[in-house]
Amino acid sequence: MTKLPVLKGTLDLLVLRALSWNPMHGFEIVSWLERAANGSLELDDSALYQAVYRLEGKGLLQAEWGVTENNRRARYYKLSPAGRAYLRAETKNWLQYSETVTDILTSARDAAAMGGAP
Amino acid sequence: MIRDGVRRVLHLALRRRDRWEREVEEEIKLHIALRTEQLIGEGHDVEHAYAEAVRRFGPLSESRARLMDAARHREGTMRRTEFLTDLRQDLSFAWRGLRRQKGWGAVTVLTLALGIGATTAVFSVVSTLLLHPLPYPNANRVVLLYQQPISGNNTGMSVSIVASPGVVRAWRADARSFEDIQPGRFNVRDLKTASGDPSSVMTTSVLPSFPAFAGQRPIMGRMFTASDVESGAKVVVLGEGFWRERLGGVSTALGRILTIGDTAYTIIGVAPAAMRFGAPGRRATDVWLPLDIRGKVLGGNLMGRLRPGVTPVTAQRELDSIYARTAGGTPQFSAVVKTPGERVAFRDSLLLLAAAVALVLLVACANVAHLLIARTSSRRRELSIRTALGAGRGRIFRQLLTESSILCAMGTVLGVFVGWIGLRLLIAARPSSLDELKAAHLDAFTLGLTILISVASALLFGVLGAIQTSRESTNEALKGAALAATGTGARHRVRRLLVVSEMALSAVLIVGAALAVRSLQRLQSIDVGFDARGLYTMYPTWGAKLEDSVSRRQFLTNFAQRVRSVQGVREVALVQAPPGSRSFSIGRLEIDGATTTGSNDATAFIDVNAVQPHFFRLMGIRLTEGVTFTDTSAASAQVIVNASFARKQWPAGGALGHRVRISRTGTEPWLTVIGVASDARPSGPAAESTAPMLYLPPSSASEAIIVRSAGDARSLAPLAKIARNMGARALTIESVENLMAGFMAEPRFVMLLLTAFSAFGLALATIGLYGVMTFTVAQETRDIGIRVALGASRSSLVRRVIGRGVGLAAAGAGIGLAASTWVTKIIAGRLYGVDRLDPAAFACGGILLVAAAVIACIVPTRRAVSVDPMTAIRNE
Repeated sequence: MTKLPVLKGTLDLLVLRALSWNPMHGFEIVSWLERAANGSLELDDSALYQAVYRLEGKGLLQAEWGVTENNRRARYYKLSPAGRAYLRAETKNWLQYSETVTDILTSARDAAAMGGAP
Repeated sequence: MIRDGVRRVLHLALRRRDRWEREVEEEIKLHIALRTEQLIGEGHDVEHAYAEAVRRFGPLSESRARLMDAARHREGTMRRTEFLTDLRQDLSFAWRGLRRQKGWGAVTVLTLALGIGATTAVFSVVSTLLLHPLPYPNANRVVLLYQQPISGNNTGMSVSIVASPGVVRAWRADARSFEDIQPGRFNVRDLKTASGDPSSVMTTSVLPSFPAFAGQRPIMGRMFTASDVESGAKVVVLGEGFWRERLGGVSTALGRILTIGDTAYTIIGVAPAAMRFGAPGRRATDVWLPLDIRGKVLGGNLMGRLRPGVTPVTAQRELDSIYARTAGGTPQFSAVVKTPGERVAFRDSLLLLAAAVALVLLVACANVAHLLIARTSSRRRELSIRTALGAGRGRIFRQLLTESSILCAMGTVLGVFVGWIGLRLLIAARPSSLDELKAAHLDAFTLGLTILISVASALLFGVLGAIQTSRESTNEALKGAALAATGTGARHRVRRLLVVSEMALSAVLIVGAALAVRSLQRLQSIDVGFDARGLYTMYPTWGAKLEDSVSRRQFLTNFAQRVRSVQGVREVALVQAPPGSRSFSIGRLEIDGATTTGSNDATAFIDVNAVQPHFFRLMGIRLTEGVTFTDTSAASAQVIVNASFARKQWPAGGALGHRVRISRTGTEPWLTVIGVASDARPSGPAAESTAPMLYLPPSSASEAIIVRSAGDARSLAPLAKIARNMGARALTIESVENLMAGFMAEPRFVMLLLTAFSAFGLALATIGLYGVMTFTVAQETRDIGIRVALGASRSSLVRRVIGRGVGLAAAGAGIGLAASTWVTKIIAGRLYGVDRLDPAAFACGGILLVAAAVIACIVPTRRAVSVDPMTAIRNE
């Protein structure tokens, strides 16, 4: 199937979501997102790292060097309290937004004239 | 030490950069490795897996570059946030700390504020009056031009000779040294007002090109043009002050008619208040008139702008050569080129005060350094604990720096405010001879300088103290001996050094002030040579009605009669130069028969005074030889000279009968000396009385009246109205006693300020010494305890403490007094009757410092004496 490009701004949300349970290092985040998207999203590795760094700079993620199960040194990222709050708020906005857009895109031609969706 | 710390900081910066670059590399490597493993797990072979992993990551160099960028950006943002949070923390901590020690903080801030305030006030005056007095474009090249007799100006006042129009025109045309030369003529004219009351205006006549020279444009209307001058149009431009006050600042002023003298002028514009002509400090111009450069009278004031790179000396020489060409004959005058700042009357006093206040500022800064060091001393324990709890040395350093910065910032802000108030006070309290002071204001230059000084001191003291303390606290960690001798040796030395230098500076200030006080005393007790009690001068302002000398003479004679009839008046006389003013004749003072000595050879200003015969009796001036005038006719060839001149010229006595004259052309008639008058200084005690003074019989040169009256000024007041009725425009009555007192005003003002400064400096030095002695005593508590236990007497303890304190003060005094022997050279020229190495002044300095030291030691001594040996020894 053709992969969908990730819309600008949503990559941040996806990364934050990925980290909302446990701290993960870069490759784990990528893998998780690949699995979660089931292959239908076009994920660019380096773009992902850029997003991670950006989020870290903004203070939404905190980074710490740790050790993987195979005893390798890896940089683990976790959500900061600010990051958690941001994720919550933005998820809400995104859901509302996508719902509205979906409604418009699937409505009949004169939906607006007939009072529109509630 | 410091170098070490700096190096450390630089390394830190470099290492940080390396670190995250390496970290990014590591992350990329790990990612690719894991991806490779994943692909291998899915069945690819190793090489393909690796290649695929790399490909998936994105073109490596591009991706890596972009990641590095992103990482750098991240580092930047995080560092900034960290810095801000730290700063906020530092500030709040520092603020809390300061609030806990309000007393100490307040003293520091106050000391700095007073030091900066005094400096700001005095430096504003220096800056606005001496350095940047005129708001002209390229003001640093603007100069005032005038002429002087070739032998120079021996009068001690600023006198100038009006250059003739021909010379001025030649200068304007030919002088290469100048971009432009602008003549200007000042006048006081009658203004006809609607109510008919006499009113006068200050007028200045300038060329149409002057506004451009001054870089000013009219607020309203226009300035003069060449055609105005050509056509002789009767137009005027109002000065802003006049326009606002007398015409209410209305926009309908243009086109109105102003009657000045007997001529009607049309108002064509209003000039801004910033447009000024001549030396700073003159009264503002009310009305500007056009000047015709081809006219017969150009006025005595010249301003010029030098070409870039031309020095006043070069310009002066060129002006002299042009003058020699134009005037022909032997040149009698030479040009003088002066910057406006040099013409400020009290320039020397001002510079002296500026130097004194700079010393005060140094003392204040030393005290602040003192306080900062003392404070960090007492906090070592606390800081050690913080270090043990994890605060890095850099953090502590930053914190201490923040604290001192806050203090210095507060001190500066308060100081500027104090300075502003101080300036207002200075201006309000100014003596009339320093009237120009009112133009002084706080300007950007002074503010910049002040802020620079305070920032520098904050950094210097804060940094030094912080480095010292942070190093100590990391070394000592939790060592209980908060007062261990090690580590404080250096700091204590610094404090002692500071105290000694404060004492030295105070000594210099005290010596200066003491000299000023004694100088003033001498000044006040100088015999001025005449009796000023009950003496008044009367100066009529001639109006249009009394234009010529005949009618003026008539007026004076008649008026004198009226004055005589006033109750209380004893005697009245007509004079040329009443007390408070001087008249000069310009020429060579020649003595018949004697070869003239060098100084008399050249053209000079020579004091003259045409007086009535009973002048000497009225003034109380004794005639040591001869008699007063017997021939008061127009052809009288009599002259009376002053005693010093007679002594110098004829030391063997017998001045009578000799002949003298003031020669310009060599054809003037000789005058015979018929009397010698004892020296008098009607221009104030400071005036030179050994210069030759020629008294001449009354002539048309008489312009004023002096009166000796038993009554007071009030009884003479009605005479003003009488004078007006007789045709004069106004009458100025002045008490000579007030005049004489006025001459003291400037020296007294300077003396008061110097005394204030030295008192302040001494107070600060005393506080500094008190701090050091307190610390010393606390340091040596154990020592003292042992001594007492071993039987030392109270008096020996007292002697020890006071001895130490006085020792420091004496060291400072020694240095200061030694420096004063050199420093007083600067003010030597302004001292009257006092030697610059006056022993009384120096002794005063030494005594005051020792006394201050004793006072500073009172509390520490008491503490030392009350040390309980048991607790002291036990308290390790």
